Amino acid sequence: MTAANKQASRYDPAFANELYAIENGEYMKQCMQCGLCVVTCPARHLMDLQPRKYFKAIQAGDRDQVLKANTPWLCTSCNLCTVRCPRGIPIIDVMHGMKLYLAQKQGIKVAPGALFSKTFFDVMLKRGRQWEAWLTQMYYLKAGPGAIKDAMKMIDVAQAMVFKKRLPLAPAKTIKGKSQLKKIYEKAAALAKEGH
Amino acid sequence: MGYIFYPGCASEATGKASFISFEAVVKALGMDVHDEIPDWNCCGASLVANAVGDLAQQAIAARNLALAEKAGKDVIVACSSCYLNLSWTNEKMKIDPKFHSQINEALGAGGLSYSAGLQVRHLIDVLINEVGLDKVRERTIKPLEGLKVACYSGCQTVRAIRRPDFDDVEFPVMLDRLVEALGATAVPFPMAARCCGGAQQFTNPELIYDLTGKVLDSAAENGADVIVTPCPMCALNTDAFQDKIAKLKKKKYNMPVLFVTQLMGVAFDLKPKDLAFPYNIVSPYKKLAKWVKK
Repeated sequence: MTAANKQASRYDPAFANELYAIENGEYMKQCMQCGLCVVTCPARHLMDLQPRKYFKAIQAGDRDQVLKANTPWLCTSCNLCTVRCPRGIPIIDVMHGMKLYLAQKQGIKVAPGALFSKTFFDVMLKRGRQWEAWLTQMYYLKAGPGAIKDAMKMIDVAQAMVFKKRLPLAPAKTIKGKSQLKKIYEKAAALAKEGH
Repeated sequence: MGYIFYPGCASEATGKASFISFEAVVKALGMDVHDEIPDWNCCGASLVANAVGDLAQQAIAARNLALAEKAGKDVIVACSSCYLNLSWTNEKMKIDPKFHSQINEALGAGGLSYSAGLQVRHLIDVLINEVGLDKVRERTIKPLEGLKVACYSGCQTVRAIRRPDFDDVEFPVMLDRLVEALGATAVPFPMAARCCGGAQQFTNPELIYDLTGKVLDSAAENGADVIVTPCPMCALNTDAFQDKIAKLKKKKYNMPVLFVTQLMGVAFDLKPKDLAFPYNIVSPYKKLAKWVKK
């Protein structure tokens, strides 16, 4: 394969189309590369592809770049890019769609944020409400031995929170409508799948 | 018509002080807020959509709206993340017929429905636009004269849906007006609607240290005695992580972080238990010694 061919094969329009078809994916067509999201994003300095380049890579069908970028996992949901985008792209919603796609495509260990979000959801759906102390334990348990070092770094914060009763160790309340909630979720998830 | 309260999961843990002081302030002002939404569930925060997508999260959030509609009351929310999810789902149902029918199809699986006829209002919005600052001034027994406050609205509070009648999406001022009505001084605070890093404490802690550090720096540089916020996530990051960030940056902040209803409770001279100070990690007693005895 010549160098030119190799370069050409890096960009796959079918991959771009695959991403346009995910939930909120269609909005990614609207990006005009103005870069306002980049100067807006509070997490840009930690991103390997800042939002403008991320959208360009998607539009270009640059599979390798898109799949390895940490961009969506650093989104804090602050919504500033969404209110500023001159093309009206709900960037926060696009990032939700990308994170779901990446976790489905590459597995839950694709990024700590994928595992944390999934664990949060599992605890919430089972109980109807969140229970932070349990969520934290479940997350580190699933994250495996490598995460223990990270967990240890948070001991001081956790201790202060437990001491001030802001991280109750006793189970939080559960709701009566747990099975109702599960049915609503399952129906909505099925509808989302149908629509995309 | 009155309001029905959506407390949110933080009200039972990290934001317990918000819950306690909210209930006390509502009573002190005689606000028409009655009961919690019966059997309310988690709104999904800023995490569930990552795991299941927007439609599924919004259907989960909409269960609360359907339950509120049964009670026939508009919804009042104190937590910014809950406000984002509930108000945006509500708004989207009003403007997007396809979304409206999809949500109702999902709710139907649980025997519920929602016509999208309710309003979802943030506590600050209701305090400013319904209760009114005159009433707040009138109820203030101990004006907080001399107290300098950094008013940290938080990002999701003002950016959930664009409501010019509520506040500006980038440079909010409503919290400043509220704090001034209590007799305190709102210091200039350019970080008022900037992100604290949100819920990434475990997944990208360096982001929290950086962004929350900038918020604390800005409050300190502008001479604030305390930070005031309605948002449990802003409060958690600026309060619980303050000591850690101070050590990392080799600084000393000593910056108590209060929920806005806690500060209102001080000015309204409410009982110590209503102020819920024991939940604060950085103790507010010293900075508020003029108005509160420990």
